[in-house]
Amino acid sequence: MKKTLKLAAAALAGVCISTAAFAQDWTPPGPIKMMIAFAAGGGADTQARLIAEELEARHGWKIIPEQVTGKGGLNAVNALKGEATDGTAIAMIVTETLGYNMASAKAGQPTDVTPISTTAGTQMAVVSLASKGWKTLGDVIEAAKGGEQIRFGVMTGQLGDLAYIIGKENGVDFNIISVRGGKAVMNGLNAGDMDIGFGAGVQAKAVASGDMVELASARSDALINSPDAPLLTDYGVSYVNETAFMFAGPPNMDAGARDAIAAAIADVVNAEGGKANAFITRAFGGPVVLHGAELESAVQNDFDASGALIQAASE
Amino acid sequence: MTDLGTLDYIWLGVLAVFQGPEAFSLLGLPISVTVVMVTFGLILGIVVGATPGLGSVIAMAISLPILISVFGFNSDALLPVLGFLIGVMKGSTVGGAVPAILFNTPGTPDAYMTTLDGYPMARAGKARKALRISHFSSVSGDTFSDIVLILCAPFLAILVEAYLDLPEKTALLILSLSFIAAVVGGSAAKGLLSCGLGLLAVYIGTGEDFYPRLSLGAPALSDGIPITAAVIGILVIGAIFFELEGLWHQSRKAGRIEVTRDEGDQRLHWADIRRILPYIGRSALIGTSIGALPGIGSTLAATIGYATGKRRHDRNKAKEDPAFGQGAPEGIAATEAANSSVSGANLIPVLSLGIPGNTAAVFLILAAESIGGLNPGPAVFKFSTEQNPELVIAFGLFTTMIIANLLNWTVGGAMMRWLGVLVRIPKHYLLPVVLLLTLTSLYVQETAMSAVWFGFGFGLLGYFMKRFGISPLPFVIGFVLGGRLEATARQAFSATGGDPFFLLKSPIAAIFILAAVAVVYFSFRKPKAANP
Repeated sequence: MKKTLKLAAAALAGVCISTAAFAQDWTPPGPIKMMIAFAAGGGADTQARLIAEELEARHGWKIIPEQVTGKGGLNAVNALKGEATDGTAIAMIVTETLGYNMASAKAGQPTDVTPISTTAGTQMAVVSLASKGWKTLGDVIEAAKGGEQIRFGVMTGQLGDLAYIIGKENGVDFNIISVRGGKAVMNGLNAGDMDIGFGAGVQAKAVASGDMVELASARSDALINSPDAPLLTDYGVSYVNETAFMFAGPPNMDAGARDAIAAAIADVVNAEGGKANAFITRAFGGPVVLHGAELESAVQNDFDASGALIQAASE
Repeated sequence: MTDLGTLDYIWLGVLAVFQGPEAFSLLGLPISVTVVMVTFGLILGIVVGATPGLGSVIAMAISLPILISVFGFNSDALLPVLGFLIGVMKGSTVGGAVPAILFNTPGTPDAYMTTLDGYPMARAGKARKALRISHFSSVSGDTFSDIVLILCAPFLAILVEAYLDLPEKTALLILSLSFIAAVVGGSAAKGLLSCGLGLLAVYIGTGEDFYPRLSLGAPALSDGIPITAAVIGILVIGAIFFELEGLWHQSRKAGRIEVTRDEGDQRLHWADIRRILPYIGRSALIGTSIGALPGIGSTLAATIGYATGKRRHDRNKAKEDPAFGQGAPEGIAATEAANSSVSGANLIPVLSLGIPGNTAAVFLILAAESIGGLNPGPAVFKFSTEQNPELVIAFGLFTTMIIANLLNWTVGGAMMRWLGVLVRIPKHYLLPVVLLLTLTSLYVQETAMSAVWFGFGFGLLGYFMKRFGISPLPFVIGFVLGGRLEATARQAFSATGGDPFFLLKSPIAAIFILAAVAVVYFSFRKPKAANP
């Protein structure tokens, strides 16, 4: 998915200009219900609400944000199914909802929704407190081999599988603790309840201030804040996590409405100096906008690939 | 700048509040935006606290995005926004007691115990006096807790986290639940029943699995029961039903409905204060200790404060004084001091570790993180010689808390007395309005009719529990802590590498579990007469 995301980012400016016309022509037939699959008050929720606010300001649309949380975004996907297809109902989820979560829950196909646009990627890393003294994931593995019990905090099922495989490939057993939301992992690390954990970007400030260390990138490329951190492939792990935040609509959504909303969202998240852009840049390393057929195929690839991880983790 | 001592930081913090951007000037004195925002927050807090069904959390959730869009993301925005949220937090704990005393329906869940003595006092024509006692106790508790926060925040939370690992936290939650069930429920069996029902209800549709457990395939249950609908339903709507039934009996028997009038002396005298002070002191200590532990909350503090106060009162009271539950001012004091003293101490884990102790604190952290400039965590309290801007903000925050307290002592008291006129409205007009307001605020929060039906359903349950003398409080605390209990237990189990005896392996956890069993055992053995 990385390549496609990069391509999209590069082609962004052009796309914005060419699709900006759609947003001006199309008007929603009524207020738009924006379902948010994340707990009120978290980073993802703030992102969705800031986007909603700017869409209202720019286009005069009426947007009603509403929390539909639970089951890794699948509750929001189910709620979308019965909604009108004219652009008056959209939901913010993550690509992982339509990939790993859907596959492991056997809850349908990515085509059960209409992907609209991604907004931001993640800076997924294995993180620990600097006071632990570890510099890379290799130091942690050494400590575990030396008999130390290592607690590994994760916030999704997919990351749980990934943590398990990191241990398996390196001959150690992590005590994997699963919690709700990335902030809970940070809390667990700060409280000393966990030794290492996954952070999707929420760790940025603590890393900058020197309180936390990114021990490895869980992406296929280097991290923005810790470019020298090793990749998981350095430890024999062939899986990565490159979840992105995205909006989706009900199945068979009207194409005109979809393109107009996608273009409007792209404008908002890319508008430098805008609140949504500022927030996304600070928390998630900057906007990542991907839509149309590219997004559809990226989501489908995610879904198809997640079977392999589920299989590997169950062995 | 060299050699910045603690005093310098305190002074810089105070200056940050008063010399911030100016809102307007009064008689040539510039009034900073922060002070204005604290005042607005406090007033909003008192009003939402006094509205059954609304509370500080919903007020903060609605105002935070508005505040951020008004003030923006620059560092000047931090103190005004946080000051507003702190005002809301402090105002609502004071306001929650108003409907509890006047109409027997708590404005916030943690004011439920206030109804037990506050309402009998109001019926005896002492409504305004009850409000004064509640205000005095609440603000005293709050002030005490803030002082502890300001003096101890840097090291207390770190101490707590050093001793409480996941198994100990699980054991502590079990101890809290068994204590509440055994002590509060009238009888231990009824308490356990109530607590068990609460746990059963919260476990519907939740959990780690993708399949919604216990939902019987019903879509309405698959997302779980909304917490506001359950808690407000059982405490507030249940209480309204119970009151309505009482009015109905009254009008059938007497042909008319009595309207309570204030009679006699409504002032708070030094003698009154001396009587309630020991109760305030104990409850403030209890509330502060509970607040310093992440995630337990003010309802539990109020309950334990009341239970401890009751034991002392039963021993010490003069014969003619009313007992707890029959209009004892000490009962109001014990409850209100305990629930209000949670809020300051709750910020101890927030500021020194970045871990929220309750939902209101989540919004403070969120505000800090969205705006930037304060990154709650161990780094905040580094007293470095080169200026640490986060520490200045922390002391600025403490200053806003002190301002909020001063305002609470003065403006808060005046507002409560002003709300006291509501008691003159006949109840048969007022209760339906309160019911409508409660249902509306439920709908506003959940934006789904299902929340209203859940509210009604739990209201009926609350009504029948009241009829059969079962306290709804263990239900509420079970419901509120149930999710956390499950998550912590699950995490403790994973963290210990799947050890089934994780609750008994560490001495602290084992002591908590033994105490939990002992509390239930001894309250079963107690003769019935000792359990009113």
